[in-house]
Amino acid sequence: MKNTLSLFLVLFTIQLAGAQTKVEVEKRIKKSEVPVEVLNWFEDAYEDISRVKWFYQTESDIVSFEAKLKHNKKKHSVEINPNGNIINIEVTIDFDDIDSKAKQRIESYFKDTFSKFKVKKTQIQYLGSNDDLEDMIDENEMSEDITTNYEIEFYGKNEKGKELWEGLFDNKGELINRRKIKIKSTDILDY
Amino acid sequence: MRNHLFLIITIALALVCQKQFAQDNRFISGFFPEASLSYKLNKTYSVTHKVESQNGVYDNQSSLNDEWKYNHRQTDLQTFLGRRLTPFIKVDIGYQYRMQDGENTNRTIQQISILQRQSNLRIGHRIRTDQTFFKNAAPLWRVRYRLKSQIPLQGFEVDPGEKYLSFSNEIIYMYQSGEDDIENRVTASLGFYFNDKNKLEIGLDYRTDDYLVENRFRHRLWFKVGFYKSL
Repeated sequence: MKNTLSLFLVLFTIQLAGAQTKVEVEKRIKKSEVPVEVLNWFEDAYEDISRVKWFYQTESDIVSFEAKLKHNKKKHSVEINPNGNIINIEVTIDFDDIDSKAKQRIESYFKDTFSKFKVKKTQIQYLGSNDDLEDMIDENEMSEDITTNYEIEFYGKNEKGKELWEGLFDNKGELINRRKIKIKSTDILDY
Repeated sequence: MRNHLFLIITIALALVCQKQFAQDNRFISGFFPEASLSYKLNKTYSVTHKVESQNGVYDNQSSLNDEWKYNHRQTDLQTFLGRRLTPFIKVDIGYQYRMQDGENTNRTIQQISILQRQSNLRIGHRIRTDQTFFKNAAPLWRVRYRLKSQIPLQGFEVDPGEKYLSFSNEIIYMYQSGEDDIENRVTASLGFYFNDKNKLEIGLDYRTDDYLVENRFRHRLWFKVGFYKSL
């Protein structure tokens, strides 16, 4: 029995050698590792925030920095490219906080597309120039040039299956795009 | 959430320690390798085979005053048929054949597993019932609940090539011919997430039982290595 077991383990290990594939990186970094360009904007906009978690990430060769923090009791995630340009700011909100017309539109999309659905997470996404976004955060001034979208993570069931989705909706509630969220294997939690 | 988990583990350990000093008890330790292989049959159904083996190297109540000694305690072969109900809920039925000194046993298993996703960790809840059958004794019935967390060590999600920490606690209530007992299992391990199909966990598994048996208590501390493979 012992021999069988060792053989089993050895076989598994050999399999590993050829199994490594790595494309995406996303790791926690220290503030000191964040480029000055990125920090400058950040410190102007979020003046009084001291607790910030910084992340470095690459997705298909595109590098960006992400700051996660709490501002006015809401979770903010700010994605910034290495030159210091803001890619977007995402703020976690309740689904019910969505502007009511847009919310109706999104809900009717859910009802038309799925027999059963459940919203798991809602984020409001802001896109705009660094200056406009800074004014939005520290002065509460909303420029007309800022684009607002809703990024919603939801579970949907229809005849094609039961999946977890991430949908991006514009400020009127119109679907821009959606993608399936692949849930990582659960074998370590199940057996 | 992380705080809650530590709290649960701390309370469990505190309970265990309290018992430890109160009673005459037995301590066993050893090596516990396990490996699992999962594959999909179709979109809904999957199969998991698992082999696990307890190999004792220390027993403070060994009959020959021979505390350090290798002994094969048991090896389990398990097979599960799982059905995914939603991305978060999975049900399984399983069968286990246990090889050990004396009598080999058969066990039937039913379980439901629920995945809870937090922003920076994953928690798996597992409720399991099992029935073990013996030749000359009544069946042993057990109900168990396990909570296991997977905490990334880099970033907010575990990516290929990264490591994670894993903690779990499982409480087992068992019943056999009029007598019952409780067993508790705490584990802490370091996980290597090579990719989604290959994971390795190395850690400790601390089991205590005979909670409801008077003047007896048993601790088992296993050094555990587990490989999780899916096709």
